[in-house]
Amino acid sequence: MNTQAPHIDPQRLESIIMNHEVGKWALIPLLQTIQEEFGYIPPEAVMPVADHLKLFPSEVQGVIEFYSGFSMKPKGKHVFKVCCGTACHVKGSRSILTSIKKELGINEGETSPDFSCSLETVACLGACFLAPTLMADKEYYGRLSPTRIGSIVDHVKGSREDEKP
Amino acid sequence: MTRLLKSIGQLEWLRNEIRAAHPEDKTVVMVCMTGCRAYGAAEVFASLSRVIAEKNLAGVEIRATGCHGFCAKAPVVAIEPLGVQYQAVSPDDAQDIVEQTLMQNRLIDRLAYRDTRSNQPVFYKNQIPFYKNQTRRVLANCGRIDPTNVEHYIGHGGYEALSRMLSTMSPEQVIDEVLAAKLKGRGGAGFPTGQKWKLAREAKGSPKYIICNADEGDPGAFMDRALLEGDPHSVIEGLMIGAYAIGASQGYIYVREEYPIAVQHLRIAIDQLHSLGLLGTNILGQGFSFDIAIKMGAGAFVCGEETALMASIESRRGMPKARPPFPAQSGLDGKPSNINNVETLANIPLIITHGSRWYGEVGTEKSKGTKIFSLAGKVNNTGLVEVPIGIRLKEIIFDIGGGVPKGRKFKAVQMGGPSGGCVPREYLNLPVDYDTLQSLGAIMGSGGMVVMDENNCMVEIARFFLNFTQSESCGKCAPCRLGTTQLLEILTRISKGQGRMEDLDALRDIGKTVTETSLCGLGQTCAKPALSTMRYFLNEYEEHIKERRCTGAVCEAMVISPCQHACPAGIDVPNYVAAVAKGNYANAVSIIRERNPFPAVCGRVCIHPCETKCRRGELDDSVSIRLLKRFAADWYYDNMALPEHPFPVTSRKKVAVVGAGPAGLTCAYFLAKAGFGATVFEAKERGGGMLDITMPEFRLPRDVIIKEIEYIERCGVTIQYNSPVDSNHTVNDLISEGFGVVFIAAGAQASKRLEIPGEDESIEGLYYGLHYLAKVKEGDPISLKGRVIVIGGGNVAMDVARTAIRSGADAVQIFYRRSLDEMPAWGKEVDEALEEGILIHPMWAPNRIIQADGVLKGVEFAKSRTVFNDDGTSRLSVDKSNTRIVDAEALIISVGQAPDSSFLTKDSLIERNLWGSLNVDRNTLSTNISGIFAGGDFTTGPSTVIEAIASGRRAALAIENYLNGCVARIAIRDEKTCLHETTGLALDGEVGENAPRVRAHRESPRLRRNDFREVESGFTESQAVAEAMRCLRCDLEKERR
Repeated sequence: MNTQAPHIDPQRLESIIMNHEVGKWALIPLLQTIQEEFGYIPPEAVMPVADHLKLFPSEVQGVIEFYSGFSMKPKGKHVFKVCCGTACHVKGSRSILTSIKKELGINEGETSPDFSCSLETVACLGACFLAPTLMADKEYYGRLSPTRIGSIVDHVKGSREDEKP
Repeated sequence: MTRLLKSIGQLEWLRNEIRAAHPEDKTVVMVCMTGCRAYGAAEVFASLSRVIAEKNLAGVEIRATGCHGFCAKAPVVAIEPLGVQYQAVSPDDAQDIVEQTLMQNRLIDRLAYRDTRSNQPVFYKNQIPFYKNQTRRVLANCGRIDPTNVEHYIGHGGYEALSRMLSTMSPEQVIDEVLAAKLKGRGGAGFPTGQKWKLAREAKGSPKYIICNADEGDPGAFMDRALLEGDPHSVIEGLMIGAYAIGASQGYIYVREEYPIAVQHLRIAIDQLHSLGLLGTNILGQGFSFDIAIKMGAGAFVCGEETALMASIESRRGMPKARPPFPAQSGLDGKPSNINNVETLANIPLIITHGSRWYGEVGTEKSKGTKIFSLAGKVNNTGLVEVPIGIRLKEIIFDIGGGVPKGRKFKAVQMGGPSGGCVPREYLNLPVDYDTLQSLGAIMGSGGMVVMDENNCMVEIARFFLNFTQSESCGKCAPCRLGTTQLLEILTRISKGQGRMEDLDALRDIGKTVTETSLCGLGQTCAKPALSTMRYFLNEYEEHIKERRCTGAVCEAMVISPCQHACPAGIDVPNYVAAVAKGNYANAVSIIRERNPFPAVCGRVCIHPCETKCRRGELDDSVSIRLLKRFAADWYYDNMALPEHPFPVTSRKKVAVVGAGPAGLTCAYFLAKAGFGATVFEAKERGGGMLDITMPEFRLPRDVIIKEIEYIERCGVTIQYNSPVDSNHTVNDLISEGFGVVFIAAGAQASKRLEIPGEDESIEGLYYGLHYLAKVKEGDPISLKGRVIVIGGGNVAMDVARTAIRSGADAVQIFYRRSLDEMPAWGKEVDEALEEGILIHPMWAPNRIIQADGVLKGVEFAKSRTVFNDDGTSRLSVDKSNTRIVDAEALIISVGQAPDSSFLTKDSLIERNLWGSLNVDRNTLSTNISGIFAGGDFTTGPSTVIEAIASGRRAALAIENYLNGCVARIAIRDEKTCLHETTGLALDGEVGENAPRVRAHRESPRLRRNDFREVESGFTESQAVAEAMRCLRCDLEKERR
């Protein structure tokens, strides 16, 4: 595996910002577009976004940091989100988190040094009927047990690599 | 084929066209493609489509729908108009579904729902209890229509409310109709929707905005997600009606980014409406203009609060504002705004189409209609449930939800997420409505219902919610920012076993302040999870603080492995299980003896709380710990010699123990181990106490007790039989004989009386349970003939009935005054009794005993029933007019036992409590007189063997402290043995999840009911090793990290 920290194409970033409408209430949608494109909000985006929307950089930074959905750190190729909602908690999500930490070798909120995986926890995936559950990229995995984590991680890492040319 | 609809007539024309193209008798296969996706619904859909195409079934439509609600059995496939529902469908089943069900109308047994009691298949959706007990109105379309196809919605009566409203109603009439329907907001606070609209309508300013709050952030709630994914148009139609009513021309739907399918389905729906002309200017030519934009949240729970939500739409930090001004006056962009929750809006089209009178046919006086709950946690049928407001909680959790899995006990249901509270078992009979829940300290909330069982810790749950609110607090106002942090700190401290009793007052104080002074709902309600768990489960908090024990065996700081923590004696279960797996059976027994000198007894009759808490039970079955203990102990006695040397005596101090039952012998054993001289005084000629007197031979053969006692004696304990402690030889005499300490463990061996007319002990044929069992055990079987009645519902009653049937009774019937569920006897004993042909009649209370000439003739019973008090608690009421007489030749009364303290001299200064037993300090078991301790059943009333053993060990530790002049409280901690085994067992190898527990042989009921042979055999060696290998070694989890 030879994954590196994602490279940010400055021109791509600029064109996203410049092509975004300036109308009122535009900041969050713009940040969402940037994050959708790069997987995170590169710190170098703050100034141009502020300039474009005629805001103070601190306002932009403030919004980014307020919402847990925005991240200024690059994420791994695969993002594992372990649900820590009530139903999952009641059904033992803590041991799921423990096993996946061990499996990936990183703590929650961290990204592996080779940028292959990130591990996050979320308040509730709204999939309580699957509890305990996790979301890997856009797929849900439900009724988990610690013994299944290894094969899920292998599956997520493996299957996505197969798709790559 | 979409076209612009310019009038109401054109919409109705389109509807008729759609209905003609989809006749009701057309076969439709509906596959849930939202929630069930996680279980491979997409593959099932593809596979079904392929087979249907192969078979050229032109008349069959396969439809991707939203959630069917029965998420526990995903993936779910429904077939209409047949009315069949299949569950847990895999792609391989497609062939059978098509060939058998679709082509030949044959039902497939293996895919059907199974009745939980009879295990019979239930094919038809409307007969499955989960659906049968619901009233699906708002969810009617969900799971039936394709949410990405507006034609399905229109064909099912969609936008009929809109056209009716636009053509016949003024905005005021709409508001009046909604007011009359008594619809309360379904998002949490329960504010009347009509009232809210009225305020927005009357507000001055323009433009006005209407917002749909789809930021469903409550952990444990997913009904909004299901509605948006499965029936987005119903929400949009509700939003349009609201816009018309308040006079808004622009609407926003603020939806969580964590719900990608919901966003996608909403986008599709809005695009379709634009092309149909149902959104935009001059809708249906009626002069009403309205458009909708979707705003995605960015992950902040506080944005569910309406002022914060509006700040977020405006692309600012989502912080709430002080109110007034209310959003109706100054909301989004400073203009009058109105916010409604998803489910509220989905109710609106129903009210307008069917009228408020129809709508109000269900519900309570104050709030009408239905409510959707998302049922999750420790409940069999997780999923989405729609029920009339006012239904009893019990109906939702037990009738619809199918109760708690794996036979565990229900503890509480958490309602309303982080803003809500817990409802414990006692209140399950109360109606679910806004006011009742409020009075219980919970809230209706958005409708999340998380069921918790005995394996959950309420302190930990409170800590969990505070952890959530603390991290989601926006930080704007000090009470919330600081209060949540303080509450969390205190709760964390308690759950780590570092709490103080003062912390409980601090929690209440801070909770009150935060509730009263916070700016928005998040802070005002954040203390509820803590306050409500303290209200109903204060004992759990106190145990955490005082004893460092966690009833649910959850809190990591005090629990190494749940099995060990659950064991009253605290045996290091994982290590002895590992020792069995490795074949070190002698080691296994040594590990057990570190805490319990009765391995063979407990291997037979322990109620094994360890198994209830076993982690393996979360995967498939818990490890059969009790039988492993039995195997190791039996092996030990068969292969190992008894110890040659007693424990060395290192102290000159001597202790006297009164009673050679499990508590007394355990105490003496551990005192001897600690180097003290221990002498046990037993009134009878044999030891064993209750084990010897009451445990029938078929459950616990006497030679097992004899072996265990022999072992204890060999360890240095002296037992003096036939030495009663009574007025001739008092406790004071013992002290003057040189015993520094006396431990009284005399058991609870006096049978309780029924106290009903005719109860005369001299009647021939009338016996009391313990006395009867003792006689039989002494080899003096009272020969019973004919019909025998047993009164009682505890373990002794079961033993009595099963002994009676073995000693000649023709028929044995048990009468119990409460319901079967309330029987205190263990399930295993009840099942075995039933297998042996014993009849159990619950809900019959004895009224009078009938005799003739001193000979028993029968018993008159009166029907009892459970009545509910106003506060939801229940009590028993006996209906003396509804009686029946049961003829019988013998009656055995076993309604409980009490300690018999008559041996204590009258002038004894030992303090007693109201019911005749001794008053002891629960921690040290010391009485008010220095040097005299008491424990076991004698102080607690009838309990279990393992509790008695634990009590004996506690006494030994306390007495050791006392003799050494130490006054510390006793702290019984989980400790790992030094004889540890490092095997990882199941996790080491590739033991799959499909390794159910090994079952031991049990004699067939037909054979065993004729004599006193032992019912259950132990494991064979290979069985024991295989079973021991199933252990997950969760005790090593911390080391593995």
